[in-house]
Amino acid sequence: MAALQKSVSSSFMGTLAAGCLLLLALWAQEGASVPVTSNCWLDRSQFQQPYIINRTFMLAEEASFADNNTDVRLIGDKLWQGIHGKRKCYLMKQVLNFTLEEVLFPYSDRFQPYMQDVVHFLARLSSQLNQCHIKDDDQHIQKNVQKLKDTVKMLGESGEIKAIGEVYLLFTALKDACT
Amino acid sequence: MEPKHCFLGFLIGAFLTSGGEAQPAHESLKPQRVQFQSRNFHNVLHWQPGRASSNNDSIYFVQYKMYGQKEWKNKEECWGIQELFCDLTNETSDLQEPYYGRVMMASAGSYSGWTITRRFTPWWATNIGPPVVNVTQHNRSLLIILHAPDLPYRHQKGTNVTVENYYDLVYRVFLINNSLQKMQEQNIYEGAGRVVAIGALTPHSGYCVVAEIYQPMLGRSSPRSDEQCVKIP
Repeated sequence: MAALQKSVSSSFMGTLAAGCLLLLALWAQEGASVPVTSNCWLDRSQFQQPYIINRTFMLAEEASFADNNTDVRLIGDKLWQGIHGKRKCYLMKQVLNFTLEEVLFPYSDRFQPYMQDVVHFLARLSSQLNQCHIKDDDQHIQKNVQKLKDTVKMLGESGEIKAIGEVYLLFTALKDACT
Repeated sequence: MEPKHCFLGFLIGAFLTSGGEAQPAHESLKPQRVQFQSRNFHNVLHWQPGRASSNNDSIYFVQYKMYGQKEWKNKEECWGIQELFCDLTNETSDLQEPYYGRVMMASAGSYSGWTITRRFTPWWATNIGPPVVNVTQHNRSLLIILHAPDLPYRHQKGTNVTVENYYDLVYRVFLINNSLQKMQEQNIYEGAGRVVAIGALTPHSGYCVVAEIYQPMLGRSSPRSDEQCVKIP
């Protein structure tokens, strides 16, 4: 009887141990998939309003008439090369803030009446992304964003015009990355 | 392409790769009003002869690229043509992407510089035509069948997204009751489905059905279809 008890209890212990191992394994896996980004998210409905879509496109179109450099594109495949998921949204947050602060605010008296609406809209998205953070190393992202900033700076005023001409591409990229 | 055009194309290619650009002397030869005209996502480049070009014997060369690409691509079917248009639908099929096209003229040994289009985004620039509406009547009910205009996606094989969803289009159907003193129009349907049934219509009255295509993202409507009218017995 005692022997039987022992064998039952040992098999119970074995099951317990296996269960613990399984839990440990699950926990470890969970640990690996803990999101490295937080709050990098925008509501899709904000990108579905014809009024702001039209305004954004009109602004981009007006500025693109003044952009003769067809070879250089700021917002395109190169910008998010090797960056996936919500990290892409974090990247776009950086691009958005740069575009607002360094380009759109300084030009806010031009390209009216579109500029006003678009700046207002983008500033709202920017504040919604305020809490969008990344927990691990973001060196790769910063490098890509820096390249964009450098290109704008290097081209001077025509770089800023280019950035305004791409404001619709910015809109689409934010939608794709953050919703 | 005729051999003559091939040779000319080669010369022009050599000229371009040598870094040459439009010379002021040739400014007046440059094609004018080079622009995309887009209807139902069929994107066709159109242009006019340059101010100083004699129409006879002028031939044109077309290139295109996506915004941000360094290289221009030759449009082989429009390389040394006499027409004043070139269909770039296949080359500009990514609806949300910005594209450029450009045209150069050659005539009697001289060539113009390139004239470039404005930035062109098909999704924004295209004009959608009206749907075609078929109405069949069964006593007091109507069956309305809607057909989208001819859109390029329809010709792609092995895809399972409907043409309406692909282009983000919905139909809007209106019913007009002719019997009322004041003609009354009612929006009876808005959606991507192609079949609409309505029943319980008032006997001894006349109805007309008309439809349009609506782009919800842009808040734009196509022109309206022809009216289809029926008499309820």
